[in-house]
Formats: sequence, C-alpha cells, structure tokens
Amino acid sequence: MLFGKHINKYYLKYGIFFLIGLAALVVVDFVQLEIPNIIGTIIDGLELKTLAKEDVVVFVKDIAIFGLIIVGGRFLWRIFIFGTSWRIDFDLRNKMFAHAEKLSQTYYSEKKSGGLMALFINDLNAIRMAFGPGLLMLFDIIILGTLAFYRMFTLDRTITYFAAIPLALIAVMATYISKITGKKFKARQQAFEDLSDFTQENFYGISVIKAFVNEVREIRAFAKINKRNQDKNVSYIKASTFLHIAVEMFINIIRVTMLGVGAYLVYKTINTNDVFSIGDLTRYIAYFGTLIWPMMAIGRLINMRAQAKASLDRVSAFLNAEVEIHDEKEVVNVEKIEGKITFNNLTFRYPKTEKDVLKNINFVIEKGQTVGIIGRTGSGKTTLVDLLLRLYNLKTCELLIDDTDIMKLPIKTIRDAIGYVPQENFIFSDVIRNNISFAKDEADQELIKQMAIYSDIHDNIVDFPNQYDTMVGERGVTLSGGQKQRISIARALLKNPEILIMDDSFSAVDTKTEEQVISNLRELRKGKTTIIIAHRISTIKSSDQIIFIENGEVMAKGTHEELLKSCELYRKMVIHQRLEAELEGEVE
Amino acid sequence: MAKGGPEYDIDINRKRNMSDMEIIKRLLRYVKPFIKPLIIAFVLVLIVVGLDLLGPLFIAEVLDALGEDNIPIVKIIVIVVIYLVALFVGAFLSYKQTIILQVTGQKIIYDIRQDVFEHIERLSISQYNQIPIGKLVTRVTSDVDTLNMLYTDVIISLIRDVLTLVGVFVIMFIKSPILALYILALTPAIFLVSYVFRKFSRKAYRRVRTNVSIINAFLSEHLSGMKLIQIFNREDKKYKEFVEKNKKLNHSHYQRVLAFSLYRPSIYLLYIAAIIIILWEGSYQVIDGVISFGVLFAFTQYINRFFQPIQNLAEQFDTLQSAFTSGERIFDILDTKPIITDSPDAIELNNFRGKIEFKNVWFAYNEGEWVLRDVSFVVQPKETMALVGATGSGKTTIISLIVRNYDIQQGEILIDDINIKDIKLDSLRKNIGQMLQDVFLFSGTIESNIRLRDESITDAEILEACKYVNADQFIQKLPEKYDEPVRERGNNFSSGQKQLLSFARTLVHKPSLMILDEATANIDTETEKLIQESLKKMMNIGTTIVVAHRLSTIQHADQIIVMRKGKIIEMGNHQELLKQKGHYFQLYKLQYDKNISDNLDLINMNI
Repeated sequence: MLFGKHINKYYLKYGIFFLIGLAALVVVDFVQLEIPNIIGTIIDGLELKTLAKEDVVVFVKDIAIFGLIIVGGRFLWRIFIFGTSWRIDFDLRNKMFAHAEKLSQTYYSEKKSGGLMALFINDLNAIRMAFGPGLLMLFDIIILGTLAFYRMFTLDRTITYFAAIPLALIAVMATYISKITGKKFKARQQAFEDLSDFTQENFYGISVIKAFVNEVREIRAFAKINKRNQDKNVSYIKASTFLHIAVEMFINIIRVTMLGVGAYLVYKTINTNDVFSIGDLTRYIAYFGTLIWPMMAIGRLINMRAQAKASLDRVSAFLNAEVEIHDEKEVVNVEKIEGKITFNNLTFRYPKTEKDVLKNINFVIEKGQTVGIIGRTGSGKTTLVDLLLRLYNLKTCELLIDDTDIMKLPIKTIRDAIGYVPQENFIFSDVIRNNISFAKDEADQELIKQMAIYSDIHDNIVDFPNQYDTMVGERGVTLSGGQKQRISIARALLKNPEILIMDDSFSAVDTKTEEQVISNLRELRKGKTTIIIAHRISTIKSSDQIIFIENGEVMAKGTHEELLKSCELYRKMVIHQRLEAELEGEVE
Repeated sequence: MAKGGPEYDIDINRKRNMSDMEIIKRLLRYVKPFIKPLIIAFVLVLIVVGLDLLGPLFIAEVLDALGEDNIPIVKIIVIVVIYLVALFVGAFLSYKQTIILQVTGQKIIYDIRQDVFEHIERLSISQYNQIPIGKLVTRVTSDVDTLNMLYTDVIISLIRDVLTLVGVFVIMFIKSPILALYILALTPAIFLVSYVFRKFSRKAYRRVRTNVSIINAFLSEHLSGMKLIQIFNREDKKYKEFVEKNKKLNHSHYQRVLAFSLYRPSIYLLYIAAIIIILWEGSYQVIDGVISFGVLFAFTQYINRFFQPIQNLAEQFDTLQSAFTSGERIFDILDTKPIITDSPDAIELNNFRGKIEFKNVWFAYNEGEWVLRDVSFVVQPKETMALVGATGSGKTTIISLIVRNYDIQQGEILIDDINIKDIKLDSLRKNIGQMLQDVFLFSGTIESNIRLRDESITDAEILEACKYVNADQFIQKLPEKYDEPVRERGNNFSSGQKQLLSFARTLVHKPSLMILDEATANIDTETEKLIQESLKKMMNIGTTIVVAHRLSTIQHADQIIVMRKGKIIEMGNHQELLKQKGHYFQLYKLQYDKNISDNLDLINMNI
C-alpha cells in the first residue's frame, strides 16, 4: 500500500469502495477453495464406490451456487478496486493540472515540459497501478495465502511443512530475483533512452550531418547503439526468462513431490483411523495450485510498489512546489484600473540569477498615453512588460499602477485590466473564433468580427473554407506567422483593456498591414494606455513617448522628434531602417 | 527546422491505408532470414506443450494406482520420477525455446530499426522540414518497440495457445469421446462471449487511446502556453476544460474495466459450467465403469488449460492492433523516398577547382512563390563572394542550392562547369564546407564535434585547425580543454564560441569550397574580433561564399552581390559598388559615419 501526503485522503474518500471490493475479494477467495473440497469428496465417493448418481446432482448444484457467487464477487471486486483506482487517477490528474496552473513562469523556465508530461503520463500510471492491481495483489496474497495454507494445514501438517518451506524460499527467491531483473530492466531502459536521445539529436542535427556527408558514419554509430539496445534487451530477457522458468519449475517440482508424498501418505494411512484419502490428495494438490499465484505475486508487488513510491515522490515534489506568485495577504481592492503606470527606480533580476536585467528604471506612463519601447534583442524590453503583468515578484513600490504598488493589487485585477500580445504567438489548437474570444467565456460574433477587422485579419479568415470555425493546428489550417500575430492582436483587443501591451507584435507583418493596424489602434485606444514594444521605429514613431532601452537601462526617453535630436543612436537606427525598408522594396 | 518533442497523435484511430494482410506480408519479410531458428523454436514449443499436457495424465495414473486394492507403491514412485524428469526436460526446452525466440525477435527488431533509421537518415533536408522531428524519432523508437511485442510475445503465444487448445481436446477425446464432445459443445459459447468481448473491449480500448492522446495533447499544449493562460486569467476556464477531457478519459477507462469485469467472470462462469458437466457426466461414467476416477480428476485439470488460451487470444487482440498501427506508420516512412537523389550517370568530382556558376536560376520552395528570380553569377576558383540583402531576399537560399539541398526549377547551377545534378551528391558535399548560421553541436566533447566521427583526422590536425581559426585560445581555458563535454545542442557555449568551433570543424575536413552563413546573434566584442580575424584567413583558402552581415567581411570579398526580393540588384567589388552610388553605397556610408558611438556595431550590416 502506498501512503503520502497527497494521496492519503483518497483512502478516506474512496474507503467504502475499497471495502466493498475487499469484501467481495474475501468471499471469492473463501468460496473458491470450497470447489476443490467438493471435487475431493466426489473423488472419494467414486473411489469407495459410495457415491450414487443422485448424490452427484447435489454436489454439482453446490458447485453451481459457489460458481455463481464467485462470478458475482469477481465482477464486484474488479469494478470496485480497479474502477476506484481510475477514480483516484482522475482526481489526482485534476489536482496536478490545477497546481500546474498556479506555478510561476520561473518554475516553467526551469523545468522542461517533457518532464512535466512524464509526471502526468508515467508517474500517474505507476501510482494508479499501486492502487488497482497493487492493492488487489496485496490482499490476495494475504487472504488467499492464509486461507489456502490453513486448509492445507488442517488436511495434514507434515506435508504442509514440506510445501511451506520451499514455497517460502521461492517467495524470498522471487523477491531477490526481481531485484536482479530490476537492475537489468533499468539497464535496458537506459539503453533505450540512449537510443532515443541519439536518434533525436541526430535528426535535429541533420543539416550538419548532410553538410559533412556523414550519413554513413552516423548510421554506423547508430548500429552500435542499436546493437547495445539489443544486447541489453537480450540480457534482461535471458535473466527474467531464466528466473521465471526456474521458479515455475521449482513450484512444479514441489507440486509433484507433494503428489509423491501425498500418495505415500494415502498408502501409509490406508488402514488407520486417521485416513488421508485420495480425495484429500486431490484437495491438497488443488489448494497448492491456488497458492502459486500469491507467491509469485510477492515479487511483482514489491517491484510495483517501489516504482509507485518513486513516482509518488516525483508527483509530491511537483505538488509541493511553491506557488511563488500570489496575492499579498492584504490587498488593495480597486474598483477599476485607470492605466497610469509608474516605474520607480526599478531594478530586477530573475530569481536564482546573479545579473540585473533591468537597472534603475524610471519613467511614468500617464493614463491614455501610447508609449513605444525600443531596444536591442536582450535589452530587457520583454522583462519590463512581464513585470507589469505581475509574472514576477517585485520589491515594494518599484512599480505602481494608478499610484498603487503593484504588489498590493490583486493579481486578477491587474491581469484583467491588461490586454497582452506576446512575442511568441501562441495560438491554441482550437477554432479561430475561440482563439480570438479567448479572454471571454461568451463573446458575441459581431464583436469577434469587429476585432478581427481592427487587426486586419478578417479578410484572411473569411478566405478559409470554414471561416471563423476553422480549426487551427494539426488537422486545420496552418497559419502563417503574420496571421498568428494578427489573431493574437485581435485576442488582446477583444478585452478592451485599460492597458494594452504589444510585445513586438508586428515582426511578421508587412509594413502596410502594420500601418493599417496602428491607425486602427489609434482610434480604438483613445484615452487608454497602450504600450508597444517594437523593432521598427515606424511602428512607434507617433507615440506620445518613446523609451529607448539598452542593456537593461533607459538610455533615452521622449517623443520621436526629441529623440532624433538628443540621441545619436536613435537617429542612426532611423536612417538605417529607412534604408532597410528601401532594400525590401516596400517604401519608395 | 520543424518542432520536435514527443508525438501526441490524436489521429490514432484514423483508418489505415494498408490492409492487415499487406502489413503482415511486409512484416514477414523481416522474418525470412531467421526461418531456421523459428522452426526450431516451433518444434520446441510442440514438445513443451506436449510435455505440459502430460502432467494431468501422470496425476491420473497415480490416483488410479492409489485406488487399487493393493497399492503398487513402486509404480507410483516410478511415475512420480518420470513426471519429475518430464518437468525438468520441459523447463529446459521451454527456456531454450523462449530464448531462441526472444533473441530472434530482438534481431528482427534490430534489422527493422536499422532500416528505418538508415532510411530517415537519407531523406532530404526539405523532407526533414516537413515532418516534425518528434514523429521521425517515434518511428525509430517506440513504433519499432511495439513491433517487438508482435515478434516475441504475440506470435508464439498464438502458436502455443492454439497447440494447447488442440492438444487438450485430443487427449480428452482419446480418454472419453463423450466428455470431450460435451466440452466441444461449450466452445461456441466461449467463442461467442470472447467475440462479444473483443468487439466491446476493442471499442473501449480505442476510446481510451483516443482520450489519452487528446488529454496529452491538451496538456502538452497548455503546459507550454501556461503563461498566456495566467496572463489572460483563464485558469478556471482551462481547468474546467481539462476536467471535461479528464472525465471522458475516466469514463473510457471505466468502460474498459467494465468490459473486463464482465468478460473474465463470464469466462469463469463457462469454466464452472464445464467443470459441472465433467463432474456430472464424468461421475456417471466412473460409476458405470467407463473411465477411472483418476481420469475424471485429470479432466478437471485439463479444463483449466482449455480456458486459459482462449482468454489469452481474446485479450491479445489489442496488442495486435497497435502493432499493426505501428507497422503501418513504419512502412509509410519507408515508402517516403528521398527527393534529392543521384542521377544514374552522376560522376565523382575529382581535382575540384571551385568555380561556381549560376545561370538564370529560378527557384521556389512552394510552387509559384519564387524565392530566386533569374539569378546569374560566376565565382572563379579561390575567389570570395559576399551576399548582401534584407531578410528573405534569397541569400541563404543561394547557398543551400549550391549544396543541392533543393533542386531548382529553371536554369542551371554549375560547379567546375558541371551541372550539379550530374555530380554525385556525396562527392559534391564532401568538397564543400558549410558553416551554417545556427551552429549545431552534438553532445559529446569539443574534439568529437570537430572530428565528427572521421577517424582519419589526427589530433594534431584538430589542434592546428583550432589554432588557425582562433578557437584554440578559448578551448585551452576550459577545464578539460579539447575533452570539455558539450551538452545537448551545445548550450554550454556562447554563440561566438560555437561559431569558431564550426570554423574549425569545417577547416579540418579540408573543403575546396566554403559557404558561410554569418551569425546575426550578438557576439561579445572580443570573440567577434577573433571571428573576423579567422574569417579573413579562411577566405584565402579556397572559393568562399558568405551570406554577410558584417562590413569587414564584405569589404574583403572579391565580389559582392546585393539581393532584393530574390533578384540581384547590384554586383561588383567594394570599390565598384561604391562608385555606383546605389544601395550599397548608402549602406556603407551609414556604417562608416564616424560620429556614431561605439554602439555602432549593434546595427551592423544586418539587413
């Protein structure tokens, strides 16, 4: 049985189901052992020729009744034990996803999503197995084992010792053995993982391989790894087959020895008071037969438990991961965010890093202003807006929204007030309609269309065969980068937010479209705060304020005209970009 | 390159294009070389099953002997001893048989895996860009593994189960034809139950697989898009969506549990029915003296052995199905032929001089969307040509055409006056050193990344090359020097260092022609200087074509081509182009405006 902080409550929650299942199991195990008993009686009757044909009918009727009880019992324990294990799987999976939603971006940047997926796929399954087949095996070993032994014992003590001692040895052996095979199994897993890694890296680096005409060498290298994988497999299989067959053989030898010893007992006691009848011998053989499975199950159970334990540890570590971003104990509840933003000598470094990515940032965005932020890749622009979205924790009063410390505002209030167009356009594999109305549960078709028009994507959408109901992704239309970007803009606009943040949202859009969207924005965003991060100066030229960021610091701020006068680098960028545009042939 | 990662294929239940027969036929082709061990295994199975089936008969003999008035104890001992011997022999043969089969299965799997890998390895670059890497990896790894089950488990248990079934029936028939026929009368019921179960469980199984895929695809997408969900305050809604999908998954699991909960006990019910028939009719027969009570007991034991195989057969169906699905996927990829191949009369390039000529080249990745329009130029041996132009103007395309990653639609590309389509692909690429923009490093060491498995390259040559390209300086500072481990994708090195390593890697393979896509990434000033220096040197080695972003690189070129929207708009050397007072002139003027601060570098010729 598996215990842990996050799963103990399931024993309570589903205790009644497990109890019903276990009760059914006890009944099945008990009744199951009655059948050899009846067969033994029939054999005895036949041998002694005391059995009349009428009696047979009575016995057969008993077997039929027992059989039906077993059928019912087996049905019940399967439903209640296995079914409940799936309920736990369901609950735990929900719980894990809910926790995943609370974890910070810091967590996600540290952990690979593949590892998180493994938690949901492999580890959850291992835990479920411990609750389903694991619990079943545990109780079957205990109940069936005890009952069968008890019955054997009452039949004859001596030969039970004969049976019990080697059986115990086998159980120990099987346990020990499963450790050895466990090791070989791990080696085999490792070999497979290596093979997988090699293949993946090779395919990712295919351009280098082709460039150096290294295909043949790579194929040879793969052959080696492939061979190693084969060898490890064979080695595991050899060990496990050997052990499996050896154990089976041992059990069969005991069984045959029992037959011999039992036969001898029959022979010996034939004319005594304490007769060991032929029927007893058949009973004995049958009881012994039922013992085999519990004995073999011990090793498997131990293995399964070890795996489940390791998985539970991983899942627990995940569920225990601290939720770093949360509301402060005392929050300032505001009715409505107006959109004034103040950076007050803000200095920031990512958690667990040593370098400040933003240094002494000071500027104010008044409500209703449009602000452009420019700077090189890696200068800290995206970090700046990530902070505004409260994706990270800040020191007191470094960043204020409507003159209130961002740390004091409820996260939901902040994020509800912000419309955000991310740099990497993440579009969900859903229909376009739902992607645009992502921010709202129910959005009016007219509104969706309006936003699509503002973002200059409507015309593209109506060209798709299913228009707004076009599925994006694998089986639907694959969107171009520019289309994704514009859908992503529509998605943010639909919120009609007090603050709109566009992080390099026009990189994949041609200048003409960009100008169209910008001019739409000007109308739409009147009186509302808009922050535009851009590479192209044309995007932000008409902003009320332009912030030029370099190496995490504000290098210059002001309007386009002011910066042209005051900042060399800015002017240089302007000329350069004009030339570039000319080369692209899009500007006269 | 297409996005990788594991594959969460929602289309798992799509209709297969290949018929089961076709897949079996192709799967059997891999079995052919191993026919001998398989026959041996088959013969062994025959013996093992036979010996196993003798067991109850031995017990019957013992019981009947005990029933005699004068118990023949010696006879009993002899039987027990023979039984023990049979057990040993059976176990030994069973071990042999399993090992032969498993080893053979592993060999078959090795062959298939090698085939699949080799095939994928030889696909063209453009095909790699079309198929997600994750899918390709799955073909080589888990899909092949699924087949493993088919060759090692499924086939042999199929044989064993059928043999056991027949064997049990034959023995029963010999001992008591009437009882055997009674049991035979039960078999339609067994098959009916199994058939119904199979239908039901197959559906449930498919539903489980579909729902698992759906939920995994959802998870994979939403875990990577978590930032957006949080920013848009959509946690609650997404949680609800997740629970909905999880519910469906849970429901399908439940259905599967239900299927088994009905099937297994139903089979048990039939088993009990069989036991009842045997005990009932059997007892009458014993009383009437037709059979002995030992045989009756043996029959109760045989019944066990009769039901197990049927149950196995019904339950193994799922494994078979997924093996076929994997089989089809594998054959699908094997049927995807490389696009770029050698023509039958392709020649080797000998005494490569390094002249390159583009003659009215037109090229489009997708039909109708021309990326290069009527491009013509000549680069003489040992010359350096720089390509300049905005992103998307076709510079990178030109260099990928030279190494024939793609075939052009119109025009000709000539190397040493031979059309590259007439040159063997390997020979062509061996003579060309490619330095790509994103330097890909394999996990391993610095040395292994330079040598790239070419054992003919000596350590001295590697050292020399690294010194030549200024890589040696930073390598010497590393704790393990040339044995410094390179982590996945080389992410423990800066892009500048990677660039230098890529130079060394190219140089050590002694190309006669070099193509270089200069990195646009930010490189620290010091490394940048080293790169510039080594570039200057390298340009003197042989013909060089550079997609250039840095002015110094361009200035040293013998020829500069300015591209715009797939067309050459200006061509000539530095001085000539300056005189033309065109685009190049303006760019140059901008770059060399001395009034600008040191930050000038940041807006290098990155156009």
